[in-house]
Amino acid sequence: MIEIRLHGRGGQGAVTASRIIATAAYEEGKYSQAIPMYGTERRGAPLTAFVRIDDVRVRERELVHNPEISIVLDPLIAKQQAVVNQLKPGGLVILNTAYPPEAVKIGGDFNVATVDATTIALETLGRPITNTAILGAFAKVTGLLKVESIEKAIKKFFPGRLGDMNIAAVKRSYDEVKGPIQAVVKEAPEQKVDIHVGGYGVLKDVSSWRVFTPEIDVDKCIGCKTCWIFCPETAIQWDEEKNKPWIRFEACKGCGLCANECPVNAIKMVRVEV
Amino acid sequence: MGELTITPGSACQGCGAALAARLAFKALGSNVIRHGIPCCPDSTTKTPRFSTVFEGGGAQLTGTSRGLKAIGREDVMAVGFYGDGGTYDIGFQGLSAAAERNENIMVITKDNEAYMNTGNQRSGATPKYARTSTNPVGPRSRGKPRPKKNIPFIFAAHYVPYVGTASVGFPEDLISKVNYMKTIKGFRMLIIQSPCPVGWRYDPAKTIEIARASVQSGIWPLYEIMDGKTFKLNYKPKELKPVTEYLTPQARFRHMTEEEVADIQETATASWENLLKADEMGRLII
Amino acid sequence: MVGNKAAATAVKLAKVQVASAFPITPQTTITQYLSEMYAAGEWDFDFVNVEGELTSQVVVQAASRTGARTFTCTSGPGLLYMHHPMQTTGSSRLPVVMAVVHRGYKGMQPDHSDLMSQQWTGWGHQYVEHAQEILDSVLMAYKVAEDPRIRIPIAVGYDGYVLSYTAEPVEIPAQEEVDKWLPPNKAMPSVLPDEVDPSTFARGWGGGDPQMPWKVHHEAILKIEEVLKETMDSFEKTFGRRYGNGMIEEYMMEDAEVAILAMGTIAGTCKAAVDRMRKEGKKVGLIKLRSYIPFPVKDFREWAKKLDGIAVVDRSICPGKGGPVFAKLRDSLFDQEEKPKTLQFHAGLGGKEVRVHDFEMIGDKILKAAKGGKVEQVTWV
Ligand SMILES: Cc1ncc(C[n+]2csc(CCOP(=O)(O)OP(=O)(O)O)c2C)c(N)n1
Ligand code: SF4
Ligand code: SF4
Repeated sequence: MIEIRLHGRGGQGAVTASRIIATAAYEEGKYSQAIPMYGTERRGAPLTAFVRIDDVRVRERELVHNPEISIVLDPLIAKQQAVVNQLKPGGLVILNTAYPPEAVKIGGDFNVATVDATTIALETLGRPITNTAILGAFAKVTGLLKVESIEKAIKKFFPGRLGDMNIAAVKRSYDEVKGPIQAVVKEAPEQKVDIHVGGYGVLKDVSSWRVFTPEIDVDKCIGCKTCWIFCPETAIQWDEEKNKPWIRFEACKGCGLCANECPVNAIKMVRVEV
Repeated sequence: MGELTITPGSACQGCGAALAARLAFKALGSNVIRHGIPCCPDSTTKTPRFSTVFEGGGAQLTGTSRGLKAIGREDVMAVGFYGDGGTYDIGFQGLSAAAERNENIMVITKDNEAYMNTGNQRSGATPKYARTSTNPVGPRSRGKPRPKKNIPFIFAAHYVPYVGTASVGFPEDLISKVNYMKTIKGFRMLIIQSPCPVGWRYDPAKTIEIARASVQSGIWPLYEIMDGKTFKLNYKPKELKPVTEYLTPQARFRHMTEEEVADIQETATASWENLLKADEMGRLII
Repeated sequence: MVGNKAAATAVKLAKVQVASAFPITPQTTITQYLSEMYAAGEWDFDFVNVEGELTSQVVVQAASRTGARTFTCTSGPGLLYMHHPMQTTGSSRLPVVMAVVHRGYKGMQPDHSDLMSQQWTGWGHQYVEHAQEILDSVLMAYKVAEDPRIRIPIAVGYDGYVLSYTAEPVEIPAQEEVDKWLPPNKAMPSVLPDEVDPSTFARGWGGGDPQMPWKVHHEAILKIEEVLKETMDSFEKTFGRRYGNGMIEEYMMEDAEVAILAMGTIAGTCKAAVDRMRKEGKKVGLIKLRSYIPFPVKDFREWAKKLDGIAVVDRSICPGKGGPVFAKLRDSLFDQEEKPKTLQFHAGLGGKEVRVHDFEMIGDKILKAAKGGKVEQVTWV
């Protein structure tokens, strides 16, 4: 049996990706199971999903605790050591990042492959929904499933033009994936964070939710407080002395509302550096 | 006015309801017991919080208000912050009864026009033609077949001290209404239209833009009704914007035909004219 | 005084601060008595006239959170309608007291299926026999529910009509004595904005062992046994009356060879039957079950050592499964070395009258079974 864990954020389609893999496996005559980690995930919140593939019917209904493969759909989550927590020794991690596998900083006894799925998704779908843009890489580096089966499965989930666009994303990711190579960093301390669910209540730091981040041009700012009154997360703070805003980044989800409302366009949303 | 929310919370990016909570509690201040029922997470506040069953919103506010009276703490406000499902639908009976008894409570509804916590199913607050996960568009369905319930008028017809509408796109109006509610006693209700980028399907940066367009096109007029008779329109543009400014950015309306858009336009214009008349008279005839 | 008046009188003696109820036969007159008491302004009391039972349950739940002493009451269908918020009252550990005036689902006459169907809501469940016991049990229910070791809502069940509307003498304790014995309730913890613990604000969902709240809740309910027994002692000391040890009340059990286990009004009828059988030299006694949740496991294990037979009379049935008291009794005794013979009797369902001679028949059967005679396991009386 092969066990896979997927990390993503609400809205990136990690749960759909898990179902596409499971469906593709079934297409190839295998048994499979796709389990979403249950929570009340909101758009942008980190979440986890799991897949099992086997030649016989999968009986266990516990979550996957020691995956062979970890697939990370989000470039910021991909920087966290926790994505390889409890990964089987010699396992494989597939990261959505613009960097080659040689530059990956997370460490341990595993192989790593990388693909810039966000750029692929933005260019083929027009939105940073990276679930299909990582599956081509998955097909290529694992060799577990044929890319045709994945495409067939995608057609079931997204009929018509949307399906074609997603298949284009799969193809590009198949071609552009780099690696796998053995992780360059051999040892790294385990990161004891829960990257499974966004939760329901107060969170500590939502920086990893941002794909775009607000940048304030304080010189342009006229001190109207529009951004401050509208930020749902009170991420925009007001410096009364200077009469200018500043951002509490741990609370900013990168919604872009402040930039959209600023009457003098003093706030720009820029793609997060990863 | 300090912030009463504890952030970051777990609402989605650009959540209108999270902003509605932030603005409402900012104005309410801290001498409040907040009441919740199942709904989206919006924003957590620095207030004691009671929760009960989905259908129990009106009853729990009643119990708290009576309990506070019994223990001699009527200064503390019993405030419910509920979803439209909890207000228009499953909780309607209990809220209506609380209104009829004129309980000394405040009901604030973050109206995102569907059951969002469970994934965008229709509610009594969903507007006509909107696509939801239980009103898909297909050969037999054009989205929601019936218009949104006129819940502010329904509650006004309980002859309660205060019913108002507000929008996250108009924060000063919203805050001044909450401030006013604090000065009176009895049953008070404020329905805040709170766009939801996930359910209404638009770019989260546009939450305020859409909230504003809704008010400016007469889809969600801002008004208040006192004692079921005194009527006041709080925002009166010289000319309404076309409803398309509100409809077009939202993918939940994308399937609409020209005739369907015209239907919405006609309804919006007609009801706006009625409201203008009522505003001129300063009263409603219920 | 009729049973419902006894309940309302207990509400007054306990100086309940907020009550709420919705009329339903055979509870209706309590709602009216409470409304009259409110109108008369007999004490500082608020009665909330609501539009349904669900609301009445939620009203007392929220009022109880503020620290007010609360009361509600209902019957049969009304109790079923309350089911959902009852679990919130239970899970929130609020010391609400509720009178359940039994009414079956199949018709309006009483059986215990209404309260029995609420076993999973996390309340203490008590069943009482006569009007005096209603009044006394409601007072004791407050004492137990509000005890800092407990903080669990308690339902006091009694049969409709034959008790709710039946008049009999009731002694009313002096208000000053009740005041002394039952101090005012208070919120635990305080929920007032100026007193609440701010560290509770940011609490989110999840984290921790999700089974833990169930374990804690279960164990708190089990503790009722100890506190109820204590309370019965202090009640007797103050008011001069007692009902066994609170969990069970024994009648003619000292030298009994067999026992009949019954609850509610029919336990009274059973006492009369026991008297007759005793005159005939039959060593039969009654164990009246007062607390179904928690179940008096310890008491029955003790009795099991001494008895040859127990006849369990269930006034409710889980269709397809059987009588709940019978199942729970057998479960309590299963791994005991000395076990009496046990028989199941279905009686009084749908309000069917259970008469003295029915209990004599039950007594004869259990005596015969105890002596090794052949008797059918299940009897529909
Ligand atoms: C009795 C009951 N039925 C159904 C649910 C499931 N449920 C939880 S929240 C919710 C929808 C809430 O919708 P709304 O009140 O509009 O608030 P929103 O989620 O949009 O903020 C539903 C159906 C429940 N918790 N309880
Ligand atoms: S992007 Fe959104 S969350 Fe971040 S500061 Fe702007 S409005 Fe606030
Ligand atoms: S689903 Fe909508 S209402 Fe709910 S948290 Fe997300 S944006 Fe807010």
